[in-house]
Amino acid sequence: MIYLDNGATSFYKPVGVSDAVRRAMFTCANPGRGGYPEAMAAANTVFRCRQRASEMFDCQPEQVIFTANCTHGLNIAINTLVKPGNKVVISGFEHNAVTRPLHFFGASVIVAGRKLFDWDNTLGEFEKALKSGVSAAIFTHCSNVFGYILPIEELAALCRQYEVPFIIDAAQSAGVLPVKLKSLGADFIAMPGHKGLLGPQGTGLLLCEKLPKPLLFGGTGSNSVSQEMPDFLPDRLEAGTLNVPGIAGLEAGLSYIAGRGIERISSAEHKQAMYCAAGLEKMGIRVFKGEHQSATVSFVPQTDCEEFAELLSQKGIAVRAGLHCAPLAHESAGTLQSGTVRLSFGHDAAIWQSERFLAAISSIIHKKFL
Amino acid sequence: MRFCLITFRSVTPAQRGESVLHRAGIECNVQRTPRWMEEQGCGYSLWVRHADVPFSMELLREKEVPFRKVYLRRENGNVEELTV
Repeated sequence: MIYLDNGATSFYKPVGVSDAVRRAMFTCANPGRGGYPEAMAAANTVFRCRQRASEMFDCQPEQVIFTANCTHGLNIAINTLVKPGNKVVISGFEHNAVTRPLHFFGASVIVAGRKLFDWDNTLGEFEKALKSGVSAAIFTHCSNVFGYILPIEELAALCRQYEVPFIIDAAQSAGVLPVKLKSLGADFIAMPGHKGLLGPQGTGLLLCEKLPKPLLFGGTGSNSVSQEMPDFLPDRLEAGTLNVPGIAGLEAGLSYIAGRGIERISSAEHKQAMYCAAGLEKMGIRVFKGEHQSATVSFVPQTDCEEFAELLSQKGIAVRAGLHCAPLAHESAGTLQSGTVRLSFGHDAAIWQSERFLAAISSIIHKKFL
Repeated sequence: MRFCLITFRSVTPAQRGESVLHRAGIECNVQRTPRWMEEQGCGYSLWVRHADVPFSMELLREKEVPFRKVYLRRENGNVEELTV
């Protein structure tokens, strides 16, 4: 299979990831509870991952919280910063992981910057909203549908200038683009462990600058006498037993990325994505392509996007079609009705994948439509 | 040889403390804090040699690793809290 659905999850992980998961299952008990060797082995496994993540994302180890996924982290962050009726500015490319919690918590949402790949539009619209007075800002680093990389450094600077707390959704960028908690000055940055960070599903990270409100309550292995959740990180957000095998796998993913280098991975992925985008354009297909783009490309085929993805699947190409849980992004780009087919490269991006993908597209088009 | 226990409120700061001290070449290891020393319930401590305590505390403070208390274990097994 040619796997081009890394925007959903990375599939071909480095071998060290599954090895680490298996090792943890045989050697680790419950972390942060006991003092016997297996409990300490678990605690050390968890701490190694926390430390590795803190180095990659420029923060202290205790600011790294383990979550079940990016959505979990975003829910904690939004629950902390947003109260019913609060005005919140978001970008025009947010995922349902941001918009649904905002809807649930009863926020009044301002959508700013709906032009794809247009930093001036994004920044101008955000500044307008921030000036008007908002309680919080939330923006994705990179659109999961179109690969549009938002100007997060500039957006962060604007939020700091207007003293508006903000959350960054790094679902598509962690492990592929630089993400630094300290220099961005974000209140929270949420990310999955299983996409660009190459860990197993069921892992995620929330980087916290602010003390968050817990979503989950229970045992933490600390302050056990008190019925209040601890007022310090990471314990405040980590009630219950952690996913130690998953965290061990995530640590192996982080180590792989640190060894190979984010820039090298990102450049290899981007090269293939742009090669495919150019190939699709040559075939007369409408492709969303722009200056600030990651290794994610969306296109609108001449037939129903789900049917087209199914034809690709029959040819051994895995892509994602439809609305990608991001109707707002599709609305911004004018593809809410049609949906798109999305290809997203991963750390294993190579020219042979692109060539097989383009050959499959060509064969479908010629068979079906010519 | 006399040893000290530096206590922490949970395992993560104790591990961070261990990492800071190891980087400075100070031998130490993480263990559970005896129940009577931790009024809040569970906790973890770092065992360090008595002679290393002043430098260890300096490093922990410099790296902003929050610790709770320091206890000295004498050769006869008696334990007493040190003023820090």
